[in-house]
Amino acid sequence: MIIVKNLKRYYGTGKTAVRALKGVSFEIKKGEFVAIMGASGSGKTTLLRILALLDDATDGEYTIRGLEVSSLPEAERSYYRLTQVGYVFQDYALINEMSAAENVYILSMMEGKSRKESYATALEALDKVGLKDKHNRIPDELSGGEKQRVAIARAIAKKPDILFADEPCANLDTTNSKQVLDVFKELNEKYGQTIVMVTHELWHTEYVDRVITLEDGNLVSDEIKRNREE
Amino acid sequence: MIDDIRVGSLIAYCSVKRGNKKTLMFIVFVLSLIFMNLVFLPSMIGGMMVLFTGMMQDYPYGDIVIEPMDDNTYINNADSVLQKVRAVEGVRAATKRLDAGASIEHKQKVVGASITGLLPTEELEISQYPYIISEGDFLGELSRDEIIIGAMIAGTGFGSEIYDNLGEVRPGSLVDVTYSNGVKRTYKVKGIMEGSFELVDLNALVNYKEIEDVYGLEGSKATSVVVRVDKQGTEGQIKDKIREAGVNEQIFTWADKSETLIKQAMQSMGAIDTMSKFVSLIVGAALVLIIIYINVLNRKKEIGILKAVGITPRSIVLSYAFLSTFYVSLGILSGLILYFSLMFYFQANPVVFYETMEISPQIDPVLLIESIVTMLTLSVIAGILPAWSVSKESILKAIWGR
Ligand SMILES: Nc1ncnc2c1ncn2[C@@H]1O[C@H](COP(=O)(O)OP(=O)(O)O)[C@@H](O)[C@H]1O
Ligand SMILES: [Mg+2]
Repeated sequence: MIIVKNLKRYYGTGKTAVRALKGVSFEIKKGEFVAIMGASGSGKTTLLRILALLDDATDGEYTIRGLEVSSLPEAERSYYRLTQVGYVFQDYALINEMSAAENVYILSMMEGKSRKESYATALEALDKVGLKDKHNRIPDELSGGEKQRVAIARAIAKKPDILFADEPCANLDTTNSKQVLDVFKELNEKYGQTIVMVTHELWHTEYVDRVITLEDGNLVSDEIKRNREE
Repeated sequence: MIDDIRVGSLIAYCSVKRGNKKTLMFIVFVLSLIFMNLVFLPSMIGGMMVLFTGMMQDYPYGDIVIEPMDDNTYINNADSVLQKVRAVEGVRAATKRLDAGASIEHKQKVVGASITGLLPTEELEISQYPYIISEGDFLGELSRDEIIIGAMIAGTGFGSEIYDNLGEVRPGSLVDVTYSNGVKRTYKVKGIMEGSFELVDLNALVNYKEIEDVYGLEGSKATSVVVRVDKQGTEGQIKDKIREAGVNEQIFTWADKSETLIKQAMQSMGAIDTMSKFVSLIVGAALVLIIIYINVLNRKKEIGILKAVGITPRSIVLSYAFLSTFYVSLGILSGLILYFSLMFYFQANPVVFYETMEISPQIDPVLLIESIVTMLTLSVIAGILPAWSVSKESILKAIWGR
């Protein structure tokens, strides 16, 4: 599904440039649940943003389902983000003036779906994360874990090819973290959702199939925890 | 594009519905003041215009005035003109007048003035002259050695301090008048007229026959024929009918006259008006821009998030255009309420000038529509510009600041 070859990302130029990614290569198959691990500053976020088309690589190749996406013009990338890629932010990044349903609904509307259809899609997604009954609440009226689940609903409502999450549990306590991870696991197992999640908590890897570890901008290990075919 | 509009309006709707109501009220309040600023002063100036044109009708020009053709000093057969004019349907009354330049002397004090010769009984139907005699009486049909003097030259009325005057002239005082052709006459002051208006109070009135006699005129000459109509607003048609009736002199309605005369006199006023409008517009535009810009800056991160999840920049820009149009519409609405309450207040309690002149502001629909359109146009621009510049920023920069 995803093929990354010799991906590099430098911030700035010349001697002072920060080399956040020094050339990483890997492949992710459809239906995989992958964790990206590594110490703080190792380049996890940088990598994920490039994969989610929020940022450009300095060098290297990146294809999604055989399509070279790094060179797409912004309008097409924007459409790709809207329809094919889900992204869950560490700090939820919900629109505070919109209810849970509206936060999800707006994307379906952007895709050109009717009001009714959009609402149904939003409720379905909120149902998947266990928040159907709180669809009318605004972010301020939800707990951190609930907010993150709304953000996940927003990311999966479009049924994206891949779901990216950058330390989705960093601001959550263990109970809420477990709820969020359970949601991911269920999405992955029940609906075959491909997920790439950045984390630095070892116990999170219990939930995933595969762990890619970064160190100082390099890929240092790629370990299969569980074979899905089994 | 339709999707952009739908999404843009959803964003705008949510941010109004759940946004800070106090901020909204404050923004609307400021915008309503900006709107007021655009329309209030012009309305007062409009009121002044109406007052002055009213003066023009009541004293020198009537509803329609007929003046000599080209370089002629006089209308030659004013009686025949009068006959034709009076036969026109819709004419209520008409009279002839003779204006002359003169100097008036009283106890060694001399003042230059224009003296109007008129037919006293006919004027009862034509002008306000007979009704503004503050001391003494108006001229009678046969008055020949009598004169009415304006309060400002008499030295008793309001404004006497500003202009040369005759000291203390009272009914019964004797004044010497030297006409422009050198003829000298002595008159007894019959009355003082006070209109609180230079056009009236710096003049003097005598009998039409006096001027005729002094200048040796024959065959009913006149410097003007003044006409009043039955119904205000018909002046234009009646002017045409008078021409059709065969009057070959210059014919003006009071509106024609005020266009040339008042507008000249009001030119400086007009310039102030235009300038103040221009300044209000710039200040208004800047304020709208600042308000929306701060709003956009506060929501930079939100704009980044919207872009990151795939909302098109166009929807985002549209949402701000909608938002600022909404703010400005509310501002205009409350501005209108404020404006009309002030208008009604000032129409019930007019501003008083010169002790007697009342100015009640005029509501000008064209001006209102102009101002509304200007404000709305501004709001769209002011809404779009900052949102557009932020939505052009990279997502990373908008959300994470670098
Ligand atoms: N916008 C940026 N400008 C300059 N340096 C950056 C920027 N973003 C990240 N970096 C640097 O790149 C490196 C990798 O950062 P990041 O990908 O955020 O790491 P991680 O998410 O693994 O903690 C760090 O050294 C960080 O300081
Ligand atoms: Mg990070």
